[in-house]
Amino acid sequence: MIVCVAVVGHQNNPLYIQSFTDADDALKLHHIVHCSLDVIEERVNNPKKSGTTLNEAFLGLLYPTVNYKVYGYLTNTKVKFILVTTDLDVRDTDVRSFFRKFHAAYVDAVSNPFHVPGKKITSRTFAQTVSNIVGSYGLN
Amino acid sequence: MEPDVSIETLSIIRIAVLPIGTIPPTLLRDYHSMLLRHHTIALSAISSFYTEHQKSPFTNQPWDSGSLRFKFVLGGSPPSPWEDFQSNRKMLAVIGLCHCPSSPDLDSVTEKFNVACKSYSSALVRRCFAFSPGDSQLEDGDKKGENLILFPPSDKQTQEFHLQTMMQDIAASLLMEFEKWVLQAESAGTILKTPLDSQASLNSEEVIKAKKRRLGRAQKTIGDYSLLAGSPVDANAHYSTALELARLTGDYFWYAGALEGSVCALLVDRMGQRDVALEDEVRYRYTNVILHYRKSFIQEIAQRVSPLSFELEATLKLARFLCRRELAKEVVELLTNAADGAKSLIDASDRLILYVEVARLFGALGYQRKAAFFCRQVAQLYLQQDNRLAAISAMQVLSMTTDAYRIQSRASMSKVSVNNETGRLPDAGKMHHHSIVSLFESHWSTLQMVVLREILLSAVRAGDPLAAWSAAARLLRWHYPLITPSGQNGLANSLANSADRLPSGTRCADPALPFVRLFSFPLHSSQVDIVKRNPAREDWWTGSAPSGPFIYTPFSKGDANESSKQELIWVVGEPVQVLVELANPCCFDLRIDSIYLSAHSSNFDAFPVSVDIPPNSAKVITLSGIPTAVGPVTIPGCTVHCFGVITEHVFRDVDNLLLGAAQGLVFSDPFRSCGSAKLRHVFVPNISVAPPLPLLVANVVGGDGAIILYEGEIREVCINFANAGTVPIVQAHVSLSGKNQDAVISIADEALQSALPLKPGAQVTLPVTLKAWHVGPTDSDNTMSSGRNAAGNTGRPKDGTSPSLLIHYAGPLSNNGDSQEKESIVPPGRRLVVPLQICVLQGLSFVKARLLSMEIPAHVSDNLRDEDIERESNADSLVKINPFRGSWGLRFLELELSNPTDVVFEISVFVQLENSAKEDDSSPVQDSPEYEYPKTRIDRDYSARVLIPLEHFKLPVLDGSFFTKDPPPGSPSSSRNPSFSEKNTKAEINTLIKNLISKIKVRWQSGRNSSGELDIKDAIQTALQTTVMDVLLPDPLTFGFRLVRNGLEKDPETKAESPFSKGSVLSHEVTPMEVLVRNNTSEAIKLNLSVTCRDVAGQNCTEGADATVLWAGALSGISMEVAPLQEARHCFSLFFLVPGEYTMVAAAVIEDANNVLRARAGTASPNEPIFCRGPPFHVCVAGGAL
Repeated sequence: MIVCVAVVGHQNNPLYIQSFTDADDALKLHHIVHCSLDVIEERVNNPKKSGTTLNEAFLGLLYPTVNYKVYGYLTNTKVKFILVTTDLDVRDTDVRSFFRKFHAAYVDAVSNPFHVPGKKITSRTFAQTVSNIVGSYGLN
Repeated sequence: MEPDVSIETLSIIRIAVLPIGTIPPTLLRDYHSMLLRHHTIALSAISSFYTEHQKSPFTNQPWDSGSLRFKFVLGGSPPSPWEDFQSNRKMLAVIGLCHCPSSPDLDSVTEKFNVACKSYSSALVRRCFAFSPGDSQLEDGDKKGENLILFPPSDKQTQEFHLQTMMQDIAASLLMEFEKWVLQAESAGTILKTPLDSQASLNSEEVIKAKKRRLGRAQKTIGDYSLLAGSPVDANAHYSTALELARLTGDYFWYAGALEGSVCALLVDRMGQRDVALEDEVRYRYTNVILHYRKSFIQEIAQRVSPLSFELEATLKLARFLCRRELAKEVVELLTNAADGAKSLIDASDRLILYVEVARLFGALGYQRKAAFFCRQVAQLYLQQDNRLAAISAMQVLSMTTDAYRIQSRASMSKVSVNNETGRLPDAGKMHHHSIVSLFESHWSTLQMVVLREILLSAVRAGDPLAAWSAAARLLRWHYPLITPSGQNGLANSLANSADRLPSGTRCADPALPFVRLFSFPLHSSQVDIVKRNPAREDWWTGSAPSGPFIYTPFSKGDANESSKQELIWVVGEPVQVLVELANPCCFDLRIDSIYLSAHSSNFDAFPVSVDIPPNSAKVITLSGIPTAVGPVTIPGCTVHCFGVITEHVFRDVDNLLLGAAQGLVFSDPFRSCGSAKLRHVFVPNISVAPPLPLLVANVVGGDGAIILYEGEIREVCINFANAGTVPIVQAHVSLSGKNQDAVISIADEALQSALPLKPGAQVTLPVTLKAWHVGPTDSDNTMSSGRNAAGNTGRPKDGTSPSLLIHYAGPLSNNGDSQEKESIVPPGRRLVVPLQICVLQGLSFVKARLLSMEIPAHVSDNLRDEDIERESNADSLVKINPFRGSWGLRFLELELSNPTDVVFEISVFVQLENSAKEDDSSPVQDSPEYEYPKTRIDRDYSARVLIPLEHFKLPVLDGSFFTKDPPPGSPSSSRNPSFSEKNTKAEINTLIKNLISKIKVRWQSGRNSSGELDIKDAIQTALQTTVMDVLLPDPLTFGFRLVRNGLEKDPETKAESPFSKGSVLSHEVTPMEVLVRNNTSEAIKLNLSVTCRDVAGQNCTEGADATVLWAGALSGISMEVAPLQEARHCFSLFFLVPGEYTMVAAAVIEDANNVLRARAGTASPNEPIFCRGPPFHVCVAGGAL
């Protein structure tokens, strides 16, 4: 079950954070997303050491915890996508396809001529699209 | 659990350090630091103290390369229940520290030390170090026994050497005690127990199992002591035996302990050298260690005691061993597992220590955010204890997290970050300190506000008001848009409450409110007029101001500097002002107790100002100060005393904030939300302070509005100068600038020069003679309209129309008391601009000028009568006959003047006479050069017309030259003649007009002081251009009437009949008359002549049934042709029936007129006939013989 998705700008400023749980754990999810920037920064600064190729956007599992798994995705403009899920047996192919759709939705959102790059994404269409993507993948 | 554990902790000997008696804290710290220096003592150094009493059980002791390691625990610690399991947890030695001057009785010192040592039953060596003993104590010291060691007072180096010797002795004693203990342990049957062992009744099976385990446990303990003794090879041998025995007996807990010991022995034997094989071996063994600790979990006693802490501790030890960036993923997994295991820990202290270790290791990996997260966990555990010391710890831990969350205090940013201690691993990762404040990460407000709130809460509990104030300030300043109004008020109250507990005048590095930005640096006039002096030039003022009409000259050298406006010069002792904008975006009234410019260059005294800013508003205030010393001034911001604390608000921070707001990276612009307009970015100029300069202040005597002049007026104005500075004026130069400089007739600058040097406070008066310039038509209209709009008010001076006095002045070249080097620096000069507010009023408004001609009808008479009349006209100076007009006429120049002012004017007209023209006259005015007419008075808001007779107009000259220049008729080039003659005519006319104007002067006087001359030349010339053609030039045709006499015989009859009526016509007689038509042009004119006779009622007498005049001959339809410049005559006779006054008029219609005549007449259509009409002639008909 996907509990949180986030978009972080190239200066590590949060552009979009949305939790999909009924519990009052938004602060905890904020912390998880915030702490995952440590791993993403390490991957960005040392692409060869981390074993991934230069053009690989999918960062894989950032770090595991007992309750959550955090996956990362890095675009060419250094915008980061972060996925927090409670499923312990998630397949990489599913996460990749999720990020691909999420990336397309993000491109549509920032292509709005009234969107200011670097500002928070306040598009309701984007929020609805993300909810649909999360809903379709949450059933797995 | 214990803090700061590593794999090699098992080989460290613990020594309790106890203060005995009263020791000052500084001395205790010094003694402890001297001890800490000896945490490692080589085995080779203690060989002199070591005496082998029996064969040593440590057969493989590395005497050459081994060492003993110590850990000094200040204050000691309670005994651990796991001492039997791990021998390094025992306090194996006790060292007492005593300050002899504070404890004079050595017996009591010895007794206190013995009492303290009873708590440490496991201690093998006991020593009490007594420092700085007295002489009497030195004598008694030798008798007290070997445990008391006196350190005589000496220099620090000797004391350190003494302490080193004592520590080596302690090490040797410990080593000997370890040997003794090992020998006893092998032979004795000591039972080693842990809290995990069962406390049930021992049955036979349990006893047998315990006896079997005892051997394995004894071997492990012997291995522990071998490690402590610095002999890893012996330890490894014993650990191998222990592992076999523990595995056979199923003692998993001790098996794991022995395995840990073997790893430690392996590392100690390697002496810090690492390779991949070693790491793999360590990783493999510790994985087994963790597994066996987990296996030793006993379900029945899980609530009371659990090996979980040892499992987690082993996990942390492995993570610390592997902690570097290349193995980040593995280490993160270990740390995550350890953190997850914290939930099952029973003791809260263990959980606290675990989180501290996890946070520390994450920080060593470079994962700052994760480290900050676990620091928050530590702080929360501290805050759960309702304790002031715990709150202090929580506050300190939270302060370490501010870097990761970008909410650090400005005070902590200035400190150099120290890397955390990560043990003594050579490849330990360093903490990446983000010293640059990242503006973009300020969007994690959800996390930042939580952390700041926790810091505030812990600071309040810890009783640290400054930290509480700092946290509340950061929370309010950077997150006010996300805080509710009640929350903002709560934070304001927190700030006020914290300030109440702070001493007065406390400074904090974090500003709260308001937001301060630079509005402008207004340039005072005294600052703009500073001129740099060149000592090589005497006339340093030349070229300082832009000369000529151009303000901007692209070719001047200093233009680039002036346009950038980056330089600003202030003067010592003269107040300056800076405009600053303050914004209060919160919902409460902000009371700023004081705000002033903060100058970091210590040569500026700023004046504080108190301000009240309403909620959600901005305000621009003026901050002033006085420069106090020469040099550059740096003003990075303002110092604000608000909420009881003094803070500095730097302009650059607000500029960065506004820049982020413009890019959408910051929530809101505080100035824009307060309704302030968007301001162009104002740079702080480069400010330098000049030495004290003289200050010249100018005052126009009578006030600035005193110079009100009427057009053409001349007046002297006095300007009073005073030196308001503290330096005398030595040099001064006066010049002019601005418009209408010719209005200044003279400046008596010798009065200023003679007053030099002008001392401070001295004054001098400078007379200036002014003359009002000519007001143009536009100015006249503006003045009149403005004058009428403001009834009763005098006109105001227009901007840019007045000249200005430009005074360059300077003080002495060098101030008194300056050093030799400073004398080369010449203090700058100054420039004072005194605008002469000259207001030129339209004293008299020149409305218009006209040339009037009054005609007097001539009488019809014979030639003799005309001659008599001519003689009479010569006697009259105002009447002159015009033979071409055929009548007598008066000519006047009419000037219409208007007085729109509030004063009375008297007009005097002066006309210059020509002496040559009047030589033949015998008039009494012949002697005076100018003839003055009577004065004319013009009251306010009235107009007057001044008539100037023009009896001396030079018309004969025009007539003569006009006709002589014309070529004779019938010339072959007759087509060019008209244009040529016209040019000559115009030139003649212009010359005449100029001559006329130059002779006439109109002077005015108003009151006693005001007098001037009215400039009427342009107006008269413009006015006369249109009328001179009609007045001065003759008509094409001139008509005249004359009586015709028939012979001499009739003359006596006329004389005899009426001797008194000469030239009169009798009624009832046939009167022969003739009309003269003269052609004044150069072409022949064909015309149709008609003559009319009218009575006094204006009726035609020669027509109609009631005609009263009978005529003979032709009176109308007379065709005739007049040759150029010739006369033609037409004869007719009239018979008057009624005596009385009659008027004869001749008129003609010109046929086939040429272009010259049409241009002269001004006809519109070429086919329109030209009609000429002559002046009227009087006929006086007397009664006849009837």
